Amino acid sequence: MPQGDYIDLHRKRNGYRHDHFERKRKKEAREVHKRSQIAQKTLGIKGKMLTKKRYAEKALMKKTLAMHEESSSRRKVDDDVQEGAVPAYLLDRDSTTRAKVLSNTVKQKRKEKAGKWEVPLPKVRPVAEDEMFRVIRSGKRKTKQWKRMITKATFVGPSFTRKPPKYERFIRPSGLRFTKAHVTHPELKCTFNLEIIGVKKNPNGPMYTSLGVITKGTVIEVNVSELGLVTPAGKVVWGKYAQVTNNPENDGCINAVLLV
Amino acid sequence: MVQYNFKKITVVPTGKDFIDIILSRTQRQTPTVVHKGYAISRIRQFYMRKVKYTQQNFHDKLSTIIEEFPRLDDIHPFYGDLLHVLYNKDHYKLALGQINTARNLIGKIAKDYVKLLKYGDSLYRCKSLKVAALGRMCTVIKRVGPSLAYLEQIRQHMARLPSIDPNTRTILICGYPNVGKSSFINKITRADVDVQPYAFTTKSLFVGHTDYKYLRYQVIDTPGILDRPFEDRNIIEMCSITALAHLRASVLFFLDISGSCGYSVAQQAALFHSIKSLFMNKPLIIVCNKTDLQALEGISEDDMKLVMEMKAEAMKTLIGQGGEPTNDEGVLLTMSTLTEEGVIAVKNAACERLLDQRVELKMKSKKLNDCLNRFHVAMPKPRDQKERPPCIPEAVLEAKAKKAEQAAEKQKKLERDLENENGGAGVYSASLRKHYILANDEWKEDIMPEILDGHNVYDFVDPDILQRLEELEREEGMHQEHEADDFEMDGAELTPEEQEALAEIRKKKRLIVQQHRIKKSTAESRPTVPRKFDKDKQFTSERMGRQLSTLGLDPTLAINRARSKSRGRKRERSIDKGNQNGTDDMDVDGDQPNKKLRLRSRSLSRSRSRSKSRPPYEVVPGEGLKDSAQKKKAIKLAEKSHNKRNKDARKGEADRVIPTLRPKHLFSGKRSTGKTDRR
Repeated sequence: MPQGDYIDLHRKRNGYRHDHFERKRKKEAREVHKRSQIAQKTLGIKGKMLTKKRYAEKALMKKTLAMHEESSSRRKVDDDVQEGAVPAYLLDRDSTTRAKVLSNTVKQKRKEKAGKWEVPLPKVRPVAEDEMFRVIRSGKRKTKQWKRMITKATFVGPSFTRKPPKYERFIRPSGLRFTKAHVTHPELKCTFNLEIIGVKKNPNGPMYTSLGVITKGTVIEVNVSELGLVTPAGKVVWGKYAQVTNNPENDGCINAVLLV
Repeated sequence: MVQYNFKKITVVPTGKDFIDIILSRTQRQTPTVVHKGYAISRIRQFYMRKVKYTQQNFHDKLSTIIEEFPRLDDIHPFYGDLLHVLYNKDHYKLALGQINTARNLIGKIAKDYVKLLKYGDSLYRCKSLKVAALGRMCTVIKRVGPSLAYLEQIRQHMARLPSIDPNTRTILICGYPNVGKSSFINKITRADVDVQPYAFTTKSLFVGHTDYKYLRYQVIDTPGILDRPFEDRNIIEMCSITALAHLRASVLFFLDISGSCGYSVAQQAALFHSIKSLFMNKPLIIVCNKTDLQALEGISEDDMKLVMEMKAEAMKTLIGQGGEPTNDEGVLLTMSTLTEEGVIAVKNAACERLLDQRVELKMKSKKLNDCLNRFHVAMPKPRDQKERPPCIPEAVLEAKAKKAEQAAEKQKKLERDLENENGGAGVYSASLRKHYILANDEWKEDIMPEILDGHNVYDFVDPDILQRLEELEREEGMHQEHEADDFEMDGAELTPEEQEALAEIRKKKRLIVQQHRIKKSTAESRPTVPRKFDKDKQFTSERMGRQLSTLGLDPTLAINRARSKSRGRKRERSIDKGNQNGTDDMDVDGDQPNKKLRLRSRSLSRSRSRSKSRPPYEVVPGEGLKDSAQKKKAIKLAEKSHNKRNKDARKGEADRVIPTLRPKHLFSGKRSTGKTDRR
């Protein structure tokens, strides 16, 4: 025992108090009441946090108790019906299918024609123009109101140069420009921080797509060379589409789901 | 000069606690109320403040952690190596590095979100941005949680390391396990090291302190080292190796020549030769322990050869130091910690060698030369060949001799020994009466009765009873004599005149007694009456003169002064007139020391025609005070001592006063429950 372990040394030499174990046991027994007292008296945010913690403990305790109470008993088993299983009275018949067989390519062509894609968020809340743009007054007497500042997250691309300030109608503030997105792979369930290549489509309108505004539901193209995906032909995939799943202006970051 | 005291590092909280602390502090110390209807800049400022405050707190706390933990490169190499051995330098540095990165990341997060908050145009948006910012900061800390836990463990262990000063005089004890190192340190210092029969009882470094020649020495006990290749050594052994490598100390290598530690002398010698490189430049002493089991002379030939080899090695260090090569007494010593013989000799030898080495080094250094020429030890030149030893008086020598005698026969038989002889604690009961001091020694074993005739004997026992009886008898005898003189006067024997006379005598007697009683009362019970109410005319100047002359003083001056003061104004007036004529008139015996008095008398004489009203502020000396200044002071004290009634209806001390109209504690602060609408 090191020289600095005074408590242990004293215990080794002199042992415990004569009532040490009894007192310890009683103190631990009283802990329960003390905890409940504190939980009843604590107010405000601390009280809320405490109740949350206690609820979590309670749930965990109930689960473990249920687990311990599980007994091996025999239960009725419902066998799943196998595919193609036929009841006895139909055994002799041949099954015929009447569905039209369509090839995958035909299906895809139809979809493209309709302009509908399979995306995780098919519908999003429409964003009004006054929510998207803020009117900037300009001119000597500040009466001209033709300038607009975009209040949502935007993507401008690396070769972007502003139009001369006198002529630019839409101002994209640099504080709201994003270059990276947190993209989740739906199957692997892991998230990567990938660079945005461009904005493919904004559901609120083509104008927003051309401006590069990123709102919830926007389909963006991201640089996936990090993931190391390869086409069946053997070529390296470096760009894929992803759909934005959050409101970037409220969270300060772009979260997206990869469209595989 | 860094204090090698690692007890001052602040506690490192766990990840979860850290987050809780900082977030609750933000919630308490920043404003909490904001409404949708406020101006947007106010809302933005409200949330920006929260983000910045949280970041600042994280930064501060993480910075204290990083600064307080010692940097292994900046401290003494002994401690650097010791901490490396115990905690692994790389792991330690990594943990601290992670904390540093966490701090930087949090700074970046705060910066980005504050920039974003500037574009917030609604309360909801600003609030979500603040939530996101704080959440990201907390995630950073959660990720760094394991490092925090590791640092906390290190801190707890570091705080319990013994405080070894690497620069002071040190004695290192090393050797195989179980050779007696810890017993030795227990003997010479107050360190209470565990001594057990199994090996590796000592698992870390222990420090004790001892004195030699009025200097304090650190004695460091190391865990036992086994003879193994360097790479195979475990942490405990590495501690000892580190101590040996870095501390400039005198080394005591312990050898168990009896072999009762489980290792033969050959094995111990092998160990010695494998670590002898660590003994470079250190005074080395080989100590043969456990000589009570096996004397040094009695060991076998081979063992003796090995021991001599070790001694030769040790001598080399002695020569290297520049000591005399022939003085080999300080190199190989024997001792036994059980019987305590030789222990002090070993300690003295080690201290002496170390001191010599240190002094030599200091002499060679340049710094000392500046000091040396400031010293001068003056020895008086002997004027003749006569020897003058110290002079000790005879009485002291005798007392010393007597004490020595008593110490020699100190083996007095104790009661405890007697008890042990006669059967032990339960069997023998000591006779407590054998030391009683009584007039007759035969009474020692007598049994005292406790109750006699229904009374407690002890209530009636008095040790001085015989003496008291004598005194009482003496008194009674005298009383009996007096009684013979006094005879009772019968009332019938007297005649009426005699009765009257008797009554008068009794009355007078009573009066005298009363007066006497009054006179006897102290000043506290008797009111002090000023002299002007002295109706009896007791206090005359003649009386004063008589009293002073009985004391042996010349009363004439005092009497003259008293008389002059008591003279009336008539006297003073005549004095003034008399001054013009000379001294034909009455004697001017009143010397007027006080100018004021003189003026007073003159003014009085001049203003005889006018009425004698004094101006209200004028203070006339008198009534026992020697001048107006003293009287003024007396008057002031008197006025101060009583409370004047406040008849002007002014504000007094009892009228209620509110020192602060808006005290901070009533007008600020949050309430734990409810709203703060009303104050």
